[in-house]
Amino acid sequence: MKYASLLLIAFSFLVFFSCKKESTNPTVTPLAFVKPAHFPAPNYSFVGNEVTQDKFDLGKQLFYDPILSLDNTVSCAKCHDQAHAFSDHNIKFSNGVGGTLGQRNSPALSNLAWYPNFMWDGGINHIEVFSVGPITNQLEMKETIANVVAKLNASTNYKNKFKKAYNIDVITDQYMLKALAQFMGMLVSSDSKYDRVYTGKTTFTASEENGYTLFKTNCVSCHLEPLTTDFSFRNNGIDEQFTDLGRGHITQNASDNGKFRVPNLRNIAITYPYMHDGRFFTLAQVIDHYSNGIKQSATIDPIFQNTTGFNFSPTEKLDLIAFLKTLTDNTYLANPLYQK
Amino acid sequence: MKNFKLFTFLVVISFLLFACKKEDENPNVAETGTVKLIMTHRWDATNTTNFLLDLPLVHPVTNDTLTFTTFNYYLTNVKLKKADGTWWVHPESYFLINLSDPTSYELAIPNVPIGNYSAMEYTLGVDSLRNVSGAQGGALSISNNMFWSWNTGYIMTKAEGISNNSSSGSFSFHLAGFEGPDNVVTKRTFDFITQIPLTVKNGKVIEVHYTVNPMHLWDNSPSVSVLNNIATTGTEAKTMALAFYNSIVFDHFHE
Repeated sequence: MKYASLLLIAFSFLVFFSCKKESTNPTVTPLAFVKPAHFPAPNYSFVGNEVTQDKFDLGKQLFYDPILSLDNTVSCAKCHDQAHAFSDHNIKFSNGVGGTLGQRNSPALSNLAWYPNFMWDGGINHIEVFSVGPITNQLEMKETIANVVAKLNASTNYKNKFKKAYNIDVITDQYMLKALAQFMGMLVSSDSKYDRVYTGKTTFTASEENGYTLFKTNCVSCHLEPLTTDFSFRNNGIDEQFTDLGRGHITQNASDNGKFRVPNLRNIAITYPYMHDGRFFTLAQVIDHYSNGIKQSATIDPIFQNTTGFNFSPTEKLDLIAFLKTLTDNTYLANPLYQK
Repeated sequence: MKNFKLFTFLVVISFLLFACKKEDENPNVAETGTVKLIMTHRWDATNTTNFLLDLPLVHPVTNDTLTFTTFNYYLTNVKLKKADGTWWVHPESYFLINLSDPTSYELAIPNVPIGNYSAMEYTLGVDSLRNVSGAQGGALSISNNMFWSWNTGYIMTKAEGISNNSSSGSFSFHLAGFEGPDNVVTKRTFDFITQIPLTVKNGKVIEVHYTVNPMHLWDNSPSVSVLNNIATTGTEAKTMALAFYNSIVFDHFHE
């Protein structure tokens, strides 16, 4: 009887595997989205756009391809350079098609799978429709989605890659956007010194430790750990009058005027200039602002109400900068997975 | 113990039976027909003038002369009320009606189970779920130019054109908003008189004719001399969209 049971089990295994089409190569680790252990659950979990090497590679190719712009001159990567944590290089506003200047600083890109919405004003509600913004913006890539799709369909290379990745014969914007989302969602920065200290793998220097203590006291209410943002929109006192309404433009609620996304601080030391309009070029200027440069206005964040700032001492400022530099993630900046 | 083994054996056998099955073959193919919504676009208070693009039309109330160049709207989530009071739901029910494409005025709904239906429900606009769920296809494709890139969401109704009554010489109404007080998405239910229910017959097409009159955009909104552009969500968009959506009327069936 025991033998019969074993036979049954063996037989069921045989049945179980009998329909398998092909065996997977056990030596190759398939590409996957891996949530860093110390991060919360992501907002985007690739549902309906499950991660594969083919989709990721296609998304990467699109990200680096100026075909997405009107005259095939501007790619996503032009203003989102991996060497600068996918921000632009040392300029307030980036050049779009024909050299036109944008109106907000090109933000660094990392950990986008955790974002509930996108852009400095949060106007875009999903990573899969994010790219429509820069592609169609007249100051950026200045192209229509229909034209991009037509150009892609005219390319045998892309036709073959979309077929391989998504099994479609005709490229549609839906799948172009899913491919781009796949690349963007896989941009995970989680190996800075800060992360390694956070997970107990190393320790800060005394100065960094002092800076971290100051950060935890004064900054984490907005720059929530470990993602270093709570994704909210806040008026951090950089202006008394608003030339750009920011979040208020989206919600059309005056109580949101002058509010912008609390940025993720990973790789902050190399993503200068800072603020939505790139007004500060150094971390020292940023720290000075929060120390005693806060300007009051109707929508000022409660934390800054009736104060000019945290009044840091010169040593504290240096310690804070030392801490912020620990957020640089060289593994991310040099990750060959993201390179063209 | 013996029962357990018998159970295991049965599980394995049934697994074997279904293991390689690709798809269900249904020997009794359900009898179905096609329901086709036919949208007829009219102008003026008595629905007698055809509503056409690129043709000057005088609004009977505002007296504006309006030449429409674009008129698009979403009709989605079609449902039919069965005799037992429950609803048959059309899956993936998204249609974009584009006045420049007459084929888009006919909305074919295949595979409707035969029988009598006492009401039809559909939604004007795109439900909030599809506005927050990332890249979509078909009628909801972004290539259709009915999508806001800067503030995610579908433009539910788009009316554009030229008018000498407008200070800019043109008008542009992009009516959107899927949540909160600015939500323009409108469900309409059309009860068919009990004596003549919608009857779906096997292999047949039954047409359901509706009259759509864009004149009603201005039922509660001012002349284009006062308001010639709506490009955000809000009260203006909602007022205009709801007046239009609520003016759509069922006309007749046609076999």
